[in-house]
Amino acid sequence: MNIDTIKKEFPIFDEKIHNNDLVYLDSANSSQKPKIVIERINEFYTKQFSNVGRSVHYLAVAATNLYENTRTSIQRYINAKDKNEIVFTKGATEALNLVANTLGQKYLEEGDEIIITELEHHSNYVPWHFLRKLKNIKINFAEINEDGEVPLENIEKIITSKTKIISINHLSNVTGAILPIKEITQLAHSKGIIVVVDGCQGAPHLKLDMQDLDCDFYAISCHKMYGPTGLGILYGKKKWLEDLPPYQGGGGMISEVKKDRISYGNLPNKYEAGTMATAQVIAFDKSIKFLESIGIDNVMKHEAELMKYGQELLQKNNTVKLIGNPKNKGAVLSFNIEGIHPHDVATILDEDGIAIRAGHHCCQILHDKLNIPASARASIGVYNTKDDLDKLNESINKCKKIFNL
Amino acid sequence: MNLKELYQEIILEHGKNPRNLRKTNDFNKDAKGNNPLCGDNVHVYLKLNEQKKVEDISFEGSGCAISMASASIMTDLIKGRNENEVKEIIEDFLSMIKENPELKSKNLEEDEKTKLMCLSGVKQYPMRVKCATLSWHTLVSAFENKKKQVNTEN
Repeated sequence: MNIDTIKKEFPIFDEKIHNNDLVYLDSANSSQKPKIVIERINEFYTKQFSNVGRSVHYLAVAATNLYENTRTSIQRYINAKDKNEIVFTKGATEALNLVANTLGQKYLEEGDEIIITELEHHSNYVPWHFLRKLKNIKINFAEINEDGEVPLENIEKIITSKTKIISINHLSNVTGAILPIKEITQLAHSKGIIVVVDGCQGAPHLKLDMQDLDCDFYAISCHKMYGPTGLGILYGKKKWLEDLPPYQGGGGMISEVKKDRISYGNLPNKYEAGTMATAQVIAFDKSIKFLESIGIDNVMKHEAELMKYGQELLQKNNTVKLIGNPKNKGAVLSFNIEGIHPHDVATILDEDGIAIRAGHHCCQILHDKLNIPASARASIGVYNTKDDLDKLNESINKCKKIFNL
Repeated sequence: MNLKELYQEIILEHGKNPRNLRKTNDFNKDAKGNNPLCGDNVHVYLKLNEQKKVEDISFEGSGCAISMASASIMTDLIKGRNENEVKEIIEDFLSMIKENPELKSKNLEEDEKTKLMCLSGVKQYPMRVKCATLSWHTLVSAFENKKKQVNTEN
């Protein structure tokens, strides 16, 4: 598939926003969906719908096979060793809550320490905070440097003999910093520390290889990856998923239920209680195929070019201050315009059909550290073009005009 | 949609140079407001005397041009009035932002109404209504001396 014509694969770009073409720069929040994904949901409900994993009738068997096919596609896409290391969840948030909850139950005791970074999204902080309250554990924050990245040594220096878990994002949704997950994991494992990765922003933009990264858990948000909402993935090494207790109880996750005892199902059923987001899982197979048809190397090359272009463009625009200047940066251009609040920027840009996000992007710790109440964020996806970034820059100039700057 | 209606000169001017952006030293009522989606926050300080007259009102916080201008215009307008009058004005303002085409309060002069109506541009921008009303809801809370923070999402 030719990356230059990829916008055509996304029906949303046929829509007019306030009489303008849509310039969608909010993919870090959620990506748009290609036609094949949208059509797959329709097709499944129209012709193939049934619940999975329970009944023996034709439709149930077919739906179960389709559901499991997606698991296999994901295993291939992220190079997991075993298909059963892929657990479907309702989102990356649930995936991270699952890990924090089950690891916490089994392995954390009062006084134990967890390391997260100042870059973390609230979904990779709040679940650990629950454990801080419940088990009296300590959360230590690895600091960012002035470029908005977290170098390995900033993690290394806060590791103590009590550190049990390091939970970090792969790609910051504000500064765009890409963390050295492989090196962090090597360091952590040499000290017997478990590594959890919030891969929400990493998965749509980077080449994923679980066996190479070697992290213990990796959480993925499917709706940021050209897939449906209501679906996330937890990758977990088999040894952990087999060892940890179940997260939610209900149908589908059990082996045998008696009045005096209950045994749980095997992987991955053990972590998939209740009726899952069946249509979304089945449609997500098309998202993977979509990415594979372009090729992740081409995606990365295209997005790196856009990032370089966007950064240079905004750097040239005086009064625009980019947030974070990491050497290894992906997918997001966060910025502030001196004298204009990001919300005003977002409203003015919206008038031109440009969708960005303004606020703290669920990263209050980071914004406090940077001493800014909020920021504006333009984030890119496969469908963006240099023209989109030119329009962004033009609209930023319009903001300055409206505010008499 | 009209950006010029939203960002009128008076809004931009108050947003840039907000009045009463400080802390009343001897305040006797206060409340905090927060818009978790935007990251806007405001802390309103009130000094009510024994006759229930607003001797001083001020605010601290940060936010967009709309929220800063709204807090600035509000504090300017409220100072020197008694509690009942203020409450009537708050109600009138919030009804105007929500549904009424104009302000009805007899406690407001025409030029004061004109100033407040500058904020009516947000009516076309549903996501921005909260920016204009946060400080007003926080002022209500200050009168009630509520300890719980005003939250636009609850």
